[in-house]
Amino acid sequence: MLRNLLALRQVTQRTISTTSRRHFENKVPEKQKLFQEDNGIPVHLKGGASDALLYRLTMALTLGGTVYAIYQLAMASFPKKQN
Amino acid sequence: MTHQTHAYHMVNPSPWPLTGAFSALLLTSGLVMWFHYNSFTILYIGLLTNMLTMYQWWRDIVREGTYQGHHTPIVQKGLRYGMILFIVSEIFFFAGFFWAFYHSSLVPTHDLGGCWPPTGITPLNPLEVPLLNTSVLLASGVSITWAHHSLMEGKRNSMNQALLITIILGVYFTALQTSEYLETSFSISDGIYGSTFFMATGFHGLHVIIGTSFLTVCLLRQFKFHFTSKHHFGFEAAAWYWHFVDVVWLFLYVSIYWWGS
Repeated sequence: MLRNLLALRQVTQRTISTTSRRHFENKVPEKQKLFQEDNGIPVHLKGGASDALLYRLTMALTLGGTVYAIYQLAMASFPKKQN
Repeated sequence: MTHQTHAYHMVNPSPWPLTGAFSALLLTSGLVMWFHYNSFTILYIGLLTNMLTMYQWWRDIVREGTYQGHHTPIVQKGLRYGMILFIVSEIFFFAGFFWAFYHSSLVPTHDLGGCWPPTGITPLNPLEVPLLNTSVLLASGVSITWAHHSLMEGKRNSMNQALLITIILGVYFTALQTSEYLETSFSISDGIYGSTFFMATGFHGLHVIIGTSFLTVCLLRQFKFHFTSKHHFGFEAAAWYWHFVDVVWLFLYVSIYWWGS
C-alpha cells in the first residue's frame, strides 16, 4: 500500500517535447521538489513570497469590504430625517 | 515528520472557503447598493475578492494534484463524482428555465394573442445564425474529443492544436451570439417571450464563457506539461462541462429557436 503511494508520488515520466520551437520547458519536476519539501508550510503559501502577498491582499480586501458593507447596512437601517 | 499511510487526501487548512463566503456577501450586498443606492464600490470589491478566491483555490488544487501527488486513484474517483454531481445540479438549473418556456409557450395566454410566438414578436430565423451556432458547438465537440484522444496517445502537438481549435470555436460562438443579441427586434422586457428567450439563452451564454475559460486554463496547463497520457482529470472535467454546454444549446435550439418560431 505504502509502496503504491510512493510509486504514485514519483509521477510518471513527462514526455520531453520534440518540437524545435520550445516555448515552454518542462518545469514540473522542479515544482514537485519545491512543493514536496517537508517544511510544514501549507499549500497556499508554499510557492514563496508572492503567495503571502496575494493572500494578504485577498484577506485585506475581503475583511475591509465586509466591514464597509456592514457599515453601509447600518447607515441604510436608520434613514435620515427629512425636513 | 509523520506521513500518511493511506491513499486519501487530508487537505491543509485553507483561507479560501472563508474569503469565498465573504465575497458572496459582498457580491449580494454590492448588488443591493447598486440597485438601490447607485453605488458600485462594494460590488467591485466583491467581484475582485471572488476572482482572487477562485484563482488561488484552484491554483492550490493544481499544486496538490500535480506537484504534491495527492490525487491518487481513489481521490480522483471522488473528484469525478464531484464534477458529475455539479453538472447534474446545473442540468436542474436549466430545467427551470425550460419549464418556464414550455409553460408559457404550450398554452399561450389571451393577452399574447393565444399564439406562440406572441402577436408582435418577430423571432430570429432558426436557419440563419442560430444554425451556424449549432454547427460551431457540434464541431467543438468533435475537436475536444480529438484533443482527448491525442492526449491519451501522447501526441502533444495534435492535442495543443485540437484544444486551441475548441477554444477558438467557443469564442466564435460567443461573438456570433453577441451580434445576434444586438440584432433582435425584441428585448428581455418584451413580455414572456423576451423573458424566457433571454434568461435561457443568456445563462447558456454565460456557461459557454465559463467553459471556454476552463478550457483555456487546461491549454495553459497542457503547455506547462501538467497532463500525462494516463492522468489528466482537469482536462476531462473541462471536456464533460463543455459537452454539457453543447447539449444545453441543442435543447435551446430545438425548443426556443426552432419549435418556438
